[in-house]
Parts: sequence; C-alpha cells; structure tokens
Amino acid sequence: MLWTKKYSPKKVSEVMGQSKSVEQFTLWYQNWKPGKKAALFAGPPGVGKTCLIEALAVEKNLEVIELNASDYRTSSQIKEVIGQSMKQYSLFKKGKIFLIDEIDGLSGRQDRGGPGEIVKIIQETKFPIVLTVNDQWNPKLSKLKTHCYLINFGKVNFWGMVKRLEEICQKENIKCSKDILKQLAKRSEGDLRSAINDLETLPKGKKEIVVKDLESLGNREREENVFDTLKIIFKTKSPIAARMSIQNVSKPPDEIFWWIEQNISNEYEKPEEIAKAYEMLSRADIFRGRISGRQYWKLLKYMIDLMTAGVALSKKEMYRKFSRYEYPDRIKYFGMTKFKRAKEKQQLLELSGRLHCSTKKIRTEFLPYFSMEQLS
Amino acid sequence: MEYQIWTEKYRPHSLSEIINQKHIVERLKAFVEKKTLPHMLFAGPPGTGKTASAIAIAKDLFGKSWHANFQETNASDARGIDVVRTRIKEFARIKPLNTPFKIVFLDESDSLTSAAQHALRRTIEQYSNVCRFILSCNYSSKIISPLQSRCVVFRFTNLSKEDVFTYLNRVIKEEKLNVDKPALEAIYELSEGDLRKATNILQTASSLGDKINDNIVYEVASQAKPKDVIEMMNFAVNGNFKPARKKLHDMIIKQGLSGQDIIKACHGQIFELEIPDEKKIQMINQIGEYDFRISEGGDSLIQLEAMLSQFMLNK
Repeated sequence: MLWTKKYSPKKVSEVMGQSKSVEQFTLWYQNWKPGKKAALFAGPPGVGKTCLIEALAVEKNLEVIELNASDYRTSSQIKEVIGQSMKQYSLFKKGKIFLIDEIDGLSGRQDRGGPGEIVKIIQETKFPIVLTVNDQWNPKLSKLKTHCYLINFGKVNFWGMVKRLEEICQKENIKCSKDILKQLAKRSEGDLRSAINDLETLPKGKKEIVVKDLESLGNREREENVFDTLKIIFKTKSPIAARMSIQNVSKPPDEIFWWIEQNISNEYEKPEEIAKAYEMLSRADIFRGRISGRQYWKLLKYMIDLMTAGVALSKKEMYRKFSRYEYPDRIKYFGMTKFKRAKEKQQLLELSGRLHCSTKKIRTEFLPYFSMEQLS
Repeated sequence: MEYQIWTEKYRPHSLSEIINQKHIVERLKAFVEKKTLPHMLFAGPPGTGKTASAIAIAKDLFGKSWHANFQETNASDARGIDVVRTRIKEFARIKPLNTPFKIVFLDESDSLTSAAQHALRRTIEQYSNVCRFILSCNYSSKIISPLQSRCVVFRFTNLSKEDVFTYLNRVIKEEKLNVDKPALEAIYELSEGDLRKATNILQTASSLGDKINDNIVYEVASQAKPKDVIEMMNFAVNGNFKPARKKLHDMIIKQGLSGQDIIKACHGQIFELEIPDEKKIQMINQIGEYDFRISEGGDSLIQLEAMLSQFMLNK
C-alpha cells in the first residue's frame, strides 16, 4: 500500500496543520441540515482536503460517495450517481457524505451542464455535500459559489509536516535525520502528499536514509518530466500535442533538443524514419545557431516546432513498444567531466607552447600517434 | 630518459638547416645578414616549415637572447581581440634588449577573428620601430587585406619527395634506424609533403622496432583518424545507425575532434569505401550539404548525425 494511503489520517483530529479549516468544517458539519449550503474546500494540492472527508467518514462511519475528475460529469451523469443516492439512506453505514472532488477539472464541453446540476443537488440533497477546488477564483465556480460555504486550506505548516514525516519513519522503522526530513518538507512547498511520496521512494529497501539519497530524488523528479515529454513526442502523431509537450517541462528547449537527439534511435527503427527525424533536428539546429549567433529569439518557435512536431511526424506509425529513454551523452559529458576537461585543456596549452602549434593541431596531428603521457 | 618528440628534437636551429623552400630561405638569410626585417606573412599548407622558419630567424638574429625577444602566440587558442590589445601590445611596446627590434610571431593567424585582425592593423604600425610581426596562416585569403598590405607575403609549398627524404634520412641516421626504401615511399605518400606528419609517422613506427618496412608504416598510420571515419561511414552505409552514431560520439565528445576535421576526413576517405561509385557521388553531395550547414552555425554533432542518417538511404 502506498504510504500516502497507509498513513492518511483516520480521525479528523489527525489531519495535520489545518486546525482552523478543520474547526470551520466541523462546525459546518454539525450544523448542517438539508437545504443549507454545501462546503467548498479551496486550497493547493496535497494539503488534506480529501483526507479530511475520508477521516470524518471513518470516524463517524459514513459512506463517502465520490465524484472526481476521472468521471464524466455531465448533468445526466451527476444525476445518475448522486441523484438517486441523495434520497436514500445508506444500508450499512450510519450516514452519507458526497464529495465532488476537483471542480477545476470540470470540462466545459464534455461536462456540459455539470455545474447547474450540482447546484440543483445542493438544494435537494438530504446529505451534506463537499466540493473541493485548487483555485477558489476559478471561473467555473461562479455559479456554484453562492451555494457554498467557503473553507480555505493553506499550505501545510512546515513543522507539522516534519512531525508527520518523523512519525512515518518511526512506524516504518527507518532511520532518518531530522535535517533530511526538513529538506523534504521544504522542497515539497507545503504539499504533504508529495513529501510523503518522496519519503517513500528514498529508502529503496534500506533501513536508513542518508543525505545522498536526496540527490537521486532531485534527478528522478526532473527527469520524470522530460521522459513524459519524450514519450509524447515519440508516440504521438499529432503535431500540436508534440509541440505542447515541452511546455510543462522545466528544462529549456536547448536541453530538450539533446534529449530528443539521444533517443531518436532508441525509439525509431526504420532507416527512413531515423533519417527524417535527424533531418528535422538538423534544420532545428540551424535555427538554434541563428538564435544564439545573432540573438534572433523570434526564431525559437521554428526550432521548437521542427524538433518536436517535426520529429514526431517522422514516423509512419507509432511503435507499440516500451522504449527506455536515455540521458543525453552530450549533457552527461559536458556536465560530469568539466574538471577533467579543464585539466586536459591546461595540459594541451602547455604542450602547445613546447611543440609550437595550437591545441587543435596537437589533437589532430600528435594525439593520434602519441599518448598524452609520451607527449608531456 | 625522457621521451622526446622528434618534431621538436630535429627542429632546425638555424635558417641554414632548413632543407626546403630554398627561394624563401635565401631571402630570409639576407634579412638576417642586414639585421633588418619587414613584417611578414607566411602562407602555406601545414608542415612546410612556417613555424620552423620563424623560430630559426629569431635564433639567427638574437642568438642566446632569442627567448626574451621573441613572442609566439597561437591564434588558434587565443583568437579574440583582447589578446591583441593586451598580450601582444604589451610585449610589442617595450623596448628590446641588445637588439634593434623584437619579433612577435602570430601562428595560425587565419583563426584570428576579424575584429582582432583590425585591432592588429594599428599595433603593427605603431610599434614597428621596435617590433616586427611575422604572421603565419594556411590560407592567406582569411587575412584581411589591410594586414596583407602591411606584410611581405611568402608562400610556402609542400615539400618535394627529395626534401622529405633528405630530412627523414637525417633523422634515421641520428636515431640509428633501419628503414627500407618502400617504407620511406609509404611515409612520403601518407604525409603528402607535410614534414610534421612524416616525422610523427616515422617516430610511431620506430616504437614498434628498429626495423621498419612499409607494412608497419601503413599499420601505424591507420591508427589515426581515417580508420575511425571509414568504420563510421561503413556502419551508416550498411544501415547500422546506432554504432555509427556511437563512433561519431567517441570522436567528437571523447577525443575532442572538431566536426570540421571529421567532415573533411569523411570527404577524404570516401573513395576508400567499398560501395558503387554512384553511391560515392551521392555521398559527396550530402557531405557538402552538411559541411555548409555547419558553416551556417549548425552544431557539428547534430549535423554529422543527420548526414550519417542520410547515408543509410542511398540506393
């Protein structure tokens, strides 16, 4: 079981670092009668909005009927799921609570009529309804807001988060210094769920977490992003999807360029496709050169389109296989051996004085014949 | 004993030791006798004695104090305008010791940026009373004309077979080697009149034993780049992109070769491939296209990869 599930609060009082919101909610819940407003939880991801409802449900033995963004939420479908249920009492549990999660995820087109239906339900239901949303100013809420009682959730307080992570470590019997937990808490930026997720990946079967493990975390998180991007570019046939794919990555287009380069031959197998993809990269590269040489930043869009959409459309059809994407040689080399390269450059410069020719000439005229040791 | 590189060990110490370029050397000797020197531009292919002549002049003119009055800067590694404004200017403006002038030798000047070349114009004139400039380059067309007009241009040519043999025989005698005639021919063939290359091949061959025949020479010479390049092209032509790409990455990323060198070698080795001639012509056209793209500011790694991937498609 995932730790986020395993260690989710089982009582309302266990919800971490949201005492004010919890208090507001408890009051609302106690005073709720049919016809009253629904509760609207607004706050960033991973701070305990859904958790609070689940904890309440366990504590009070309630049945939770949930509708989230993974479900279709047109008016008729909402009616189907909630409409029936809101008038009947639960068979096995003491009561019911409705949770309409991720209101931001309501799609304008596919969930047509959803908000209107939710308003109707709020007015008719015999059981309390809770809605959650990340951004309380989301325009999709305009219809709903007047029917809701807004409860704001802030980021999880730093020390509360550290305490929670510490408890989990104790229960899992894992040794981990407070400093590491503090760093985890800090990088999560108030998102307790992500912090717990991170914590779970760190031990990798060991019983101790050391500072070095944190490094792998940084990489993993960043690379995951770019791997998703690669997957889209290499698997899609839609130029727009390919072009959009790089927008959510924190890496600059220049770097993604090398990620694509490294993996073309890992994905594509037919010579024509490889050649076409490289032709696209080659053209993108010309634009790259013009951008960096002459600061023509307006050309960036051509470079991006060619390297994403161009490469994506170089295949005849999608390869139905799993490809292992690699870290680019180019970036690896230039990152890892910066020190080594500086040293080599120094050696070459010394030699260039003694052999009366440039470092470039030493590379091409001497190094093929002599080793570095022989020369120096 | 310390390992000595023969190109240095047998570098001429005086103009009279320079075996080739007779017409140039004679005029240079005349300058030395009169203890005067114009600004000079040495143009010519690699390994033909440009650097050697410059150093020999300094030694002949200045004797023991040549180091103090001679500055050698390799423009290929120091090519920016600040080098001209700081290093060269500072050396040039200080009065020489015991001699009427000193010498600034700018090797591989064709690598100087054009801004740096323009900065050099005034420097050459301003300090000409105490300092003379010798520029060397492979292509004089890359030197801006205002600089060319300030210099006397000497054109160095590839060494003749006799000259290469004379030099090699001197080395062979000193090093007590046993080199047969076909081996000498082979060295000349491979060096194409480039004395540096010839010397390097001879020294590497000698490390395999004192007796040197042409087989050894070819074996040694093929350790160098051409073998890698041919291998890489063969992979690509046969549709094996991944190993071709790996070979290229080894050369560019690990060995630090420049894309220009590799593309030049690709072109040079094309007739070594065992494929139909029509295919070779197709490839030459492709190589030219990607050479152009690199000059247009493309990254050589990407452009060469694109080129290799095109090779796969040739019918």
